Amino acid sequence: MSRFRFPVGRLPDEALLSGLATGDPELAVTFVRRFQHTVFGVAIAVTGDPQLAEDIAQQTFERAWRHAQIYDARRGSVRTWLTAIAHNLAIDAVRSRQPEPVAPEDLESILGVVSDTPEQHALADEASSRLREAVAELPPEQGRALVMAGIYGMTAQQIADSEKIPLGTAKTRIRTAMGKLRSTLASPKRGDHVK
Amino acid sequence: MSSDVTCEKLREVGPELALGVLPGRERAGAVAHLDACADCREYIEQLTLVGDGLIGLLPGSEPPVGFETRVAQSLTQVTPVHEGHAREAPVPRKGRPGRARMRLVSATAAAVVAIGFSGWAVGSAIENVVAGPATSAEPVADMLSGDLTSVGAKGKMVGEVYAHADPKGWVYMTLDLPHAGTSYDGKVVCFLERKDGSTVPVGAFSIRDGSGSWGAPAPVDPSALSGARVTTPDGTVLARAPLSQAGPNE
Ligand SMILES: [Zn+2]
Repeated sequence: MSRFRFPVGRLPDEALLSGLATGDPELAVTFVRRFQHTVFGVAIAVTGDPQLAEDIAQQTFERAWRHAQIYDARRGSVRTWLTAIAHNLAIDAVRSRQPEPVAPEDLESILGVVSDTPEQHALADEASSRLREAVAELPPEQGRALVMAGIYGMTAQQIADSEKIPLGTAKTRIRTAMGKLRSTLASPKRGDHVK
Repeated sequence: MSSDVTCEKLREVGPELALGVLPGRERAGAVAHLDACADCREYIEQLTLVGDGLIGLLPGSEPPVGFETRVAQSLTQVTPVHEGHAREAPVPRKGRPGRARMRLVSATAAAVVAIGFSGWAVGSAIENVVAGPATSAEPVADMLSGDLTSVGAKGKMVGEVYAHADPKGWVYMTLDLPHAGTSYDGKVVCFLERKDGSTVPVGAFSIRDGSGSWGAPAPVDPSALSGARVTTPDGTVLARAPLSQAGPNE
């Protein structure tokens, strides 16, 4: 069996995360290189501010490094974990910076992006594709409520104010949209452990 | 006063809770309910997956030039501490491209204090990795690797071991005993095996339902190591792996 010198780039995500503790520059660079696109994408989508997004992306990697020991593979992939960290940091940053609502055109563009189903996403895993389709099928007002709450971290009250609708209606829209997506994901396929 | 949130009420606010947008007071009541209700916990976990999945639909985006270097730099100079806390070196978080170089210098100075490496070695190593022939080759490390096979069900692969030599030794393992039709719950002990027949303990870890993964610092001398093994605390070998420097001359 001929094996080649082991390229760091082929280490599993979890191994790479764990290996950051060694302080090895190659592992660190490989880790950042593998995930920076995703992490920065989340930060820029939420904040719309490249400078702030860069700051958030850096904090995301530092936090991931510090908490590498509590990462639990059973609860999701390293990528999902990183996006959740980046998202939380981005929401916090946006909340402290500007209480004003998201610009309608930003909202529409994000909604467009997350419900965009064509071939360019052919490589995405099946769960993501189904989720994307489910978002695309939501009535527009539910899609907006979903994006406002799920991506911009707006409360039901903020959504109600922004959409000029009663609080109860905002809550119902979030709940209905989430219910539909949940039943989409709940179909038979278990876990998304890619190899 | 314990929560008076009912299951019905929880199902109502669950989506907001899972998305992290439920205001403080309501949130406290809902969380208290979850502590006591496994069904609702399961429900919230599913909704959290939906929320994570939604964020996962956001497109990636190319960070600014120099980002990779800055971040890798900051990651290699933070001192690991094993209770989940770490001392952070005082690194400026970001900067415009023109100032990156200056920051790199001051950051490596901090690294000398923090971990005792040659600051320049770490700093320039990162620059070399980043500047390296990214198109042709991936970075290559001084790494041993091997497949763990089950001792019980002979020959069945049940995991992988990676052992890394520089600059600090580190071992990473994944274990999946059910793959060989066996299982085990509880503590396992990992050893590196040396060519002279001695063994070096790496650490003890807990696994559930026969699977888990972990990494730990360990002395890794590629020329002296021959394998790795995972045992129960009483010494019964569960799995072992030959380790080889997966090099072109093998
Ligand atoms: Zn309940």
